[in-house]
Amino acid sequence: MIAGPLLLLILPLAMGGIVYILRRWLFPLSALLSAGTAVLLGIAVVTLPLDQPVSAWGGRQIAMGETVTLLGRELVFEQSDRMAMAFLFFAAAGLFLLAWRFAPKTLLFPIGLGLLSLLCGALLIRPLIYSILLIEIAAALSVFALQVEGQGATRGGIRYLTFTTLALPGILVTHWLLERYAVTPDATELLDQASVLLAISFALLLGVVPFHTWVISVADDSVPLAGAFVLAIGNGAVWFLLLDFLEAYPWLGSHPLFGSLVSAAGLVMVIVGAIFTPTQRRFGGLMGYAALLDSGAALIALGMNSQLGVALVLLSLSVRPFGLILLAAGLSGLRARNGGANDLDSLRGLGWQAPWSTVALVFGSLSMAGLPVSAGFAWRWALCRTLAPSDLGTALVLLLAGLSVMAGVWRGLSSLLMRPRSAEDRSVIPMEPSEGWLTAVVVVVAVAASVGVGLFPQYVAPLADRLAAAYTFFLN
Amino acid sequence: MPTLVELVERVSFLAAMPAVAGILVTAGLLVVNREWRLSVIALTVQYFFVALLLTRQIRLELAAVKGLIGWLICMVFYMTERQASVLQQPTVDDGAPPAQRWRRWVMSARSSFSLLAVFLVAVAAYAGTLRFPLPEALFPGDITLACYLLAGLGLLQIGLGESPVQVGFGLLTFLSGFDLGYVALEPSLAVAGLLGAVSLLITLAAAYLRTAQATAGEGGVP
Repeated sequence: MIAGPLLLLILPLAMGGIVYILRRWLFPLSALLSAGTAVLLGIAVVTLPLDQPVSAWGGRQIAMGETVTLLGRELVFEQSDRMAMAFLFFAAAGLFLLAWRFAPKTLLFPIGLGLLSLLCGALLIRPLIYSILLIEIAAALSVFALQVEGQGATRGGIRYLTFTTLALPGILVTHWLLERYAVTPDATELLDQASVLLAISFALLLGVVPFHTWVISVADDSVPLAGAFVLAIGNGAVWFLLLDFLEAYPWLGSHPLFGSLVSAAGLVMVIVGAIFTPTQRRFGGLMGYAALLDSGAALIALGMNSQLGVALVLLSLSVRPFGLILLAAGLSGLRARNGGANDLDSLRGLGWQAPWSTVALVFGSLSMAGLPVSAGFAWRWALCRTLAPSDLGTALVLLLAGLSVMAGVWRGLSSLLMRPRSAEDRSVIPMEPSEGWLTAVVVVVAVAASVGVGLFPQYVAPLADRLAAAYTFFLN
Repeated sequence: MPTLVELVERVSFLAAMPAVAGILVTAGLLVVNREWRLSVIALTVQYFFVALLLTRQIRLELAAVKGLIGWLICMVFYMTERQASVLQQPTVDDGAPPAQRWRRWVMSARSSFSLLAVFLVAVAAYAGTLRFPLPEALFPGDITLACYLLAGLGLLQIGLGESPVQVGFGLLTFLSGFDLGYVALEPSLAVAGLLGAVSLLITLAAAYLRTAQATAGEGGVP
């Protein structure tokens, strides 16, 4: 019998090794194998029952719900982990599929599979405190994927690693404080100390202002799709971890300052994102600030201290990959034709040579801005509508922030689509785009998925609602 | 041949304030100095002193393993920098005219500033030990001071570091400070192993970035 948690840990790791060997000679196959593995595991996580083993190949049985002890720590796969795991695997599959066309020769595939294994481990391990060690190992591993091959050391990886390392002590020491509190329940100051440590650690991990510099560096100075992996999937896992912490330690969520502190932190992130997005002269920076803004909006939702707020956070997590991955794929396509530069001046007129990259970039940006006909709209509009009756100011700030992201994108687009002025220059633009039909198909499918979620949110929102029901910390 | 226990007993007189002083000097050198050979030696000696202090907190064998992991890390940095200096031979120090070589041993304005910052952090760590002592039952005063020094100087190194290797030194120094304190709280082998794995992966990541820097022809200060 194969225990489910072990399967989720070992299969991606083993496939990562195979993909690493294959990528030297058969990189399309390695990309498709990566995407296939992620899809397969996503389907297994969603469909296989937890309470009874099922027969798989060769008469072997898989028991998804079986608890495994590894190095003295338990790996527990619970009902609430299902959607989190499904999110990780399906988002990674989408990213691998786009990376197949836009960044086929990067280390993203083997490292991405390794990261999936570690992030799953972080969500499954009990006590939860030890998950930070796996997140830290994942951060160190992601440095290899974030580094652009053939270029000097990029800042994104080392900054990400630095901030994750700084978050490590706080969460580990919390475990000791809580053990002491269990022995001496009168010492409530221990809970206060634990709350402060957890707040600082999660602020570092989520890139809350003023600890946000790693978010911008990861987006601006690294392989764009690897940056999207960290910001959408890695950060998504941290969000799920935060929700697990709130569920495991309900006193955190019921702290009198919790709602106001989290909302204020989120609002500051939204304002910083809104101010700096339109001033960016590089698409990478724009992606970073847009991601910061989106995280801030999710914190505002969490600060509502309600079940609806949790559902909105989960909705935001499920739609964020659409925007970030499309934006990063578009940026990858454009950078590949431009020697790696991503500033607006060097991308001038490139939209005509790489139309599908431009399409991906525009629709990804639309989603990150939360504007209509995009996946991001589904959750941002729901948040604004929920906030408007009680906090009109914050709702207006969110709407204006979305427009400010669009202003930045518009500026970039005007540079991308600049037409050559002289007839001599005009001949430089090829009549046929240099991106193949396969790239066009992949981009069209991804854009259609994003638009589909934006147009029919009624199919995604109930999933977020159902998942939110697993978290009861605001109900007590 | 003397056993490990006998060897440790011979140097056990160092496992108190002398080790803390050694940590201050080595961590300070890592911040002030930019010569990679000296930095690697400083890190090696720092891991020796940390392992020595760890023998008072945990079993000798476990402390020895942590020390060995530290020295393995130093080996990785040494080999990376050797490789990088070969790749950069025409542009960096070895190619400089003999008349300019002495300059690297003279204290620059940056080094003077770093030294002042090290002094301030050391004072803050000492004040912190007196004002916010860690639980006396688990942490004697000198170990608390060593933890604060390592964490503070590690953070300073991260802030002032210009290259991936310098930031790596800072992260490892910071983690050493945390590890020195945390082993008393959580002595489990699994956590010790995972923290060792974290340190090794940080080293490999920093070494990878340093190699990329050298291959791309960027000077970078090791």
